[in-house]
Amino acid sequence: MNCEYGEKLILYRYGEAGPRLAAEVEAHLAGCPACRSELAALSAAGARLSAAVPGPSDETVFNIMRAARAAVSARSGFSFKWGEALLSGALASAMAFVFAFSGTRASADLAWNSGLDSKLDSVEYSVYQAQSDLASATGDWEYGLSALEDESLDFSKSV
Amino acid sequence: MPEELNDAELVAAYKAGDAGALGTLMERHKAAVYGYLLRLTGRTDAAEDLFQEVFLKLVKNPGAYNEREKFKAWLFTVARNAAMDLFRRESSRGEVSLYGDGDKPGPADFAASAEPGPAEAFYGKALGERIDAALASLSEDQREVFYLRHYSELSFKEIAEMLKVPIGTVLARMSRAAAQLRKKLEGEAQ
Repeated sequence: MNCEYGEKLILYRYGEAGPRLAAEVEAHLAGCPACRSELAALSAAGARLSAAVPGPSDETVFNIMRAARAAVSARSGFSFKWGEALLSGALASAMAFVFAFSGTRASADLAWNSGLDSKLDSVEYSVYQAQSDLASATGDWEYGLSALEDESLDFSKSV
Repeated sequence: MPEELNDAELVAAYKAGDAGALGTLMERHKAAVYGYLLRLTGRTDAAEDLFQEVFLKLVKNPGAYNEREKFKAWLFTVARNAAMDLFRRESSRGEVSLYGDGDKPGPADFAASAEPGPAEAFYGKALGERIDAALASLSEDQREVFYLRHYSELSFKEIAEMLKVPIGTVLARMSRAAAQLRKKLEGEAQ
């Protein structure tokens, strides 16, 4: 074919020619049997390629979909771990926040921080000592009594 | 609904964790990709393997597809590369050439369809065989462009970008393919 319409014919055949070029090719086709034959050959070959093919087997499609589900699961597992890590971090921060602020407010009232605990220890020790002295002095009432009275004085001082 | 999404949106949905989106995508393109691979290789086992390889690439690494490019162009590029790799592997092992050797046809020349197409149904089975023979007579470059244009339905400009050649080269190959097909079919008819 020496009509120089080869590439224009291709564009026309595959719908890529603009309206002007399409009109030009159609006008040319009316008087060019060789180009008409080429169009017919392209159409016949295209029809042959379009003939129904069985397509991939069900097994192939199944394998691909199984891999897709596994990949999605693996990706969601990865995201969940990130979410879990973020959640853990947020909870830890919240707990630290609560602990820090509640600690500041409560510190003045806490027994170990107010001196009350040491005072209670003194009272307890004095009572224990008094009981001990009383028990040991059961054989000598006079001495024991006077000693107890002395201790009572000391006891009142210590409180 | 996944069916209403375009290709890029389906890939995005799959990336976001919707495995069904990949199924929709595969359903949408499987006939064209499989048909292309079957024509290229001429063997159902090879076409099946390559088809699986192509979609598994997307399954394992959906990020390999850049959403700014046309999905079909990406898909057929992957399919073509996979087929070329197979061809190179088989060629290095001294196995049969994809496109034949000289006048001898290769596997790509014997991709018979399971059912007759419209032209074949009209002209009879003999025409189908004649067309296969005419396709087998095309050069590798001509056949590559012809199959890509037919199955992918990409524009000649997109095919030129895929093959990294000027669009004029693609059109020239198609034009020579058309002339060769005509010559063969007319010659066979006489």
